Amino acid sequence: MKTTNAKKYGVMSDVNVARKITNTASYITLFFFSALVLFPLLWIVSTSLKNEEDLFALPLQIIPEHPTLHAFKQVWVDHPFLAYFRNSFIVVSIATFVSVTFSAFAAYGISRFQFRGRGAFMAFLLGSQLFPSIMLLIPYYKIYMRFGLINTHAALIITYVSFSIPFCTWMMRGYFAGISKDLDQAAQIDGAGRFRVFRSVILPLSWPGLAATTIYSFISGWNEYIFALVLTQEEEMKTVPVGIGQLVGEYRIDWAQLMAASLYALIPLSIIFIFFNRYFVSGLSAGAVKE
Amino acid sequence: MKSAFKKRESRSGYFFTLPTLFVVFSLIIYPLCYGIFISTQRTNLISEWKFVGLKYYKSLLTDPDFLGSIKISLTFAFFVVLGNFIVGLLLAVILNQNIRFANVFKVILMLPWLLPEVVVALIWKWLFNPTYGLINFILNKLGVIDSDVSWFDSSKSAMAGVIFIAVWKGYPIVMIMMLAGMKNIPKERYEAAAIDGATRLQQFRNITLPGLKPIIVVTCILETAWWFKHFTIVWLMTNGGPAGATRVVSIDIYQQAFGNFEFGKAAAESVIILIILLTTSYFYSKVLRDEND
Repeated sequence: MKTTNAKKYGVMSDVNVARKITNTASYITLFFFSALVLFPLLWIVSTSLKNEEDLFALPLQIIPEHPTLHAFKQVWVDHPFLAYFRNSFIVVSIATFVSVTFSAFAAYGISRFQFRGRGAFMAFLLGSQLFPSIMLLIPYYKIYMRFGLINTHAALIITYVSFSIPFCTWMMRGYFAGISKDLDQAAQIDGAGRFRVFRSVILPLSWPGLAATTIYSFISGWNEYIFALVLTQEEEMKTVPVGIGQLVGEYRIDWAQLMAASLYALIPLSIIFIFFNRYFVSGLSAGAVKE
Repeated sequence: MKSAFKKRESRSGYFFTLPTLFVVFSLIIYPLCYGIFISTQRTNLISEWKFVGLKYYKSLLTDPDFLGSIKISLTFAFFVVLGNFIVGLLLAVILNQNIRFANVFKVILMLPWLLPEVVVALIWKWLFNPTYGLINFILNKLGVIDSDVSWFDSSKSAMAGVIFIAVWKGYPIVMIMMLAGMKNIPKERYEAAAIDGATRLQQFRNITLPGLKPIIVVTCILETAWWFKHFTIVWLMTNGGPAGATRVVSIDIYQQAFGNFEFGKAAAESVIILIILLTTSYFYSKVLRDEND
């Protein structure tokens, strides 16, 4: 488009040269940052495939000389990673389901209806992102202690729901705001109640938004560290990040196992990301951009 | 007639919002208030509860350790947010052009956002390992250093190190937000500017930046809050060391509470942080909005 304009105005050669230079610079920048992202990741893979000797062999082996899958097997034996993964799955899927459901309802409420306290509620949703989550750590710890919830899935589920609901609601609200209200009215004229309009008309149109909130909620829960660290003390109840984190504290760090565990932890994230990625940018942007 | 309609409107509004309102009140507002209450108590959270009023606040405001850790957090957050914006905005601008394989690059460049902070900290800890780390190996090969440098043993390079890692982890969210914002800037504006002979830089300054302003404000506020209270990466990389050089506020609070069992003091620290963050964001949105008008 731009080149045709340029042609029309007879400045083609200059514009083209400038374009080529910026394009080359763009690619160099992209390759540089991609390399910066990829080389630590490849280093994880390389490390995870090393045997104990090669791990501490000098000079460094960029590609392991005796590649082995030993660490990938041994990490399940030496550490209760099965329990860590089970806990993470239970906690994060329930928390994600609850937050996405609740926030879809709330977002529909604030995007379609006028009611007292609506403005304050919306301001609170964004404002709550400012609360230092660590500020909630002490009250939560005390409250869970009183109800005997330390070392339970319930404590972590409740915590993660409360963390992700505000931002999820904010994202969904932006998404619903982009769906014309005429649709609601048309359905209502056809005799549908408010709830049916929401369930049968608006929700089916909102998959991208729901997908984006699901990704956000799942990833933030799956990766959360400090609350899980404080709220679970029994090995059997710990989550994956806490399990990986404490491998570092050990006297002699088994880096191969650590990297293998990290790669396992990435599997669910990658799956969810691959499935929902294309909705993510649009869903997130709707939440952030629409006033 | 109209008021009956209004009543029904607001009833539906409450109906949909109620579950979330309940969560917000019971899981955020109530614990926050409870935290403020704890900050006025000398307590071990179990048996000892003694009202001490504003004692902790008074002593904290003159406590060099606490003020020092606020300064460290400010430095850390400032450079991380700055770095995130420079890298994120640069990459977003590039990806927003008609570039081949833009989607492939986008997915690769988003990866750090996907990784758990714990994993990010560990990879870099291993990469920065003085003897067996890839970074020293490469720098050695390139002749930049000639012995094994322990990056996290000196306070200056430790701070630079955690900032670098945090930017590596944090720029993708800025990139995504900026990309999202750019989708909403009409293409015609760029075409018109190109006809008028505006350079790319001019287009960026006069079209892209103003168009992105609202989303920059929101992202800037969120980013500052996120990184000011950040814990995991710094904790796992340095434990706040060496000699307290990277002891950010969250680490201070965590250790006061779960190391020294000074829960009241730790709660008071968090209330002060909340006040700082609220003030900063108010200031931000005001400044940026005024500039806009």
